[in-house]
Amino acid sequence: MNSSSPGVEAAATAVPATRLRSLQAVGIFCGFAAGAWLGGAEAPIKLVNPEISPITVSFVMVLGVFLARWSVPAFLRGTSHLRHDVRQAPHLVIWAVLAGCMWAVANTLTIYAIRNVGLSIAFPLWNSNSLLGILWGVLLFNELHYAGWKRWLGVLGGAICMFGGATLLAIASSHQAAPGKATLGIAAALGAGILWGTMYIPYRKAYLTGMNPLSFITFFTVGELVTMLVLAVSYRGAGMLWSELASARTVLFWLMLGGFVWVIGDLFQQYATKYVGISRGIPLSNTNQLWGLLWGVFVFHELQGGSRAIYTQVAGGSILMALGAVAIALSSAAEREHSSWQEAADREGQRYNVENEYVRAGMEGRAHGSVSNSRTVLDWLLMVGTTALFVALATMARLPSMEIGMAWAVALTGAMLVLMAACGITLWRTTRFR
Amino acid sequence: MSHDRFRNLFRAVATDVHFWIPLCVLAGGLLLLDKLR
Repeated sequence: MNSSSPGVEAAATAVPATRLRSLQAVGIFCGFAAGAWLGGAEAPIKLVNPEISPITVSFVMVLGVFLARWSVPAFLRGTSHLRHDVRQAPHLVIWAVLAGCMWAVANTLTIYAIRNVGLSIAFPLWNSNSLLGILWGVLLFNELHYAGWKRWLGVLGGAICMFGGATLLAIASSHQAAPGKATLGIAAALGAGILWGTMYIPYRKAYLTGMNPLSFITFFTVGELVTMLVLAVSYRGAGMLWSELASARTVLFWLMLGGFVWVIGDLFQQYATKYVGISRGIPLSNTNQLWGLLWGVFVFHELQGGSRAIYTQVAGGSILMALGAVAIALSSAAEREHSSWQEAADREGQRYNVENEYVRAGMEGRAHGSVSNSRTVLDWLLMVGTTALFVALATMARLPSMEIGMAWAVALTGAMLVLMAACGITLWRTTRFR
Repeated sequence: MSHDRFRNLFRAVATDVHFWIPLCVLAGGLLLLDKLR
């Protein structure tokens, strides 16, 4: 690597150092907030009767995701920004739809995985996606180039540390696996990990080229919904799907809530990916396993009656994961590495003929062009319609007869809300949700 | 979007190796899902 290449020198002056530090800090904060919300999203699924088909479960979750992915951007910025982004970088619609298709298949695989080997084993297996994310980041998007050995050690060591911690947690809870179904469950969890790990290619592609995460997710969700609709109708049949939905009306709320919560986490993950790259953003958001563990142990009483060895493994695994996350958080990109990201961004801009100023503005989280921030009738319809649907489903919802630690559920929900508010305000102040 | 711009867009995507990696993984995921159902 030639540290004095002209491209690097030119690009290095593009982002002021103080601005770069702010963006890196907000990206890392988003990674941690994503972990909390993505981990919490698995909780509502635990309330669903295991007799409902995984395809149907995933389909309903995706309906919740679809509503959230349109209504949350409408609430935060209005949908007028969509048109501006599509005009500037129309190719990203294709990438977003492709990523959405991958998400839908991965999400369905995770439900098979949870059913067959339990959340505690499935989680670490599909969270191996972060290692794949680092690989793609380095190979395709110049991440960790010019980073120096300390940052390499921090990111790769941190990710391996997190993977080790995740494996310990899996071993600790392996007694929960259903006999005879372990192979299928493990295949499903690993498949989901590979799909999600590779899904970050379109993510990074979009953000290097300047697209706003709020625009990306609205097209992303079209891919999700269409894929799930096709899977659900072809696997279950339209009639069977409808009757299953009708008979599952008391749990529709929990499934759609799971999808909605997941979207909040994913949105933070998208901002983390945008501002700190996939090699750092994805491992950080994979702290969702710690949150999943908290929900599993304290709210759903998993691991109850376990031996001292199991609890030691859980504590050790959690500490390893937390240490890994801290190592990654302390290894944010410096100016030279950021300049090599800009080289990758320039390459993308040239390939897809995207205006250079749009790409730069997107990377720096600043405005490009004049776009109205006012809400349209469509925005209000999206917000009111989604709220009304969730209220209607909530009135039909029933809690299953299972032991739930309500005090812990309230405490964890409170912690998630505090993180969302703090991170949301920081993101607004730094980038205006760009 | 003009016809030419549309065609150029698809050509740029189709000749981008980055596009084929996720597409192949997606196909593999669909095959796995078919085995699991």
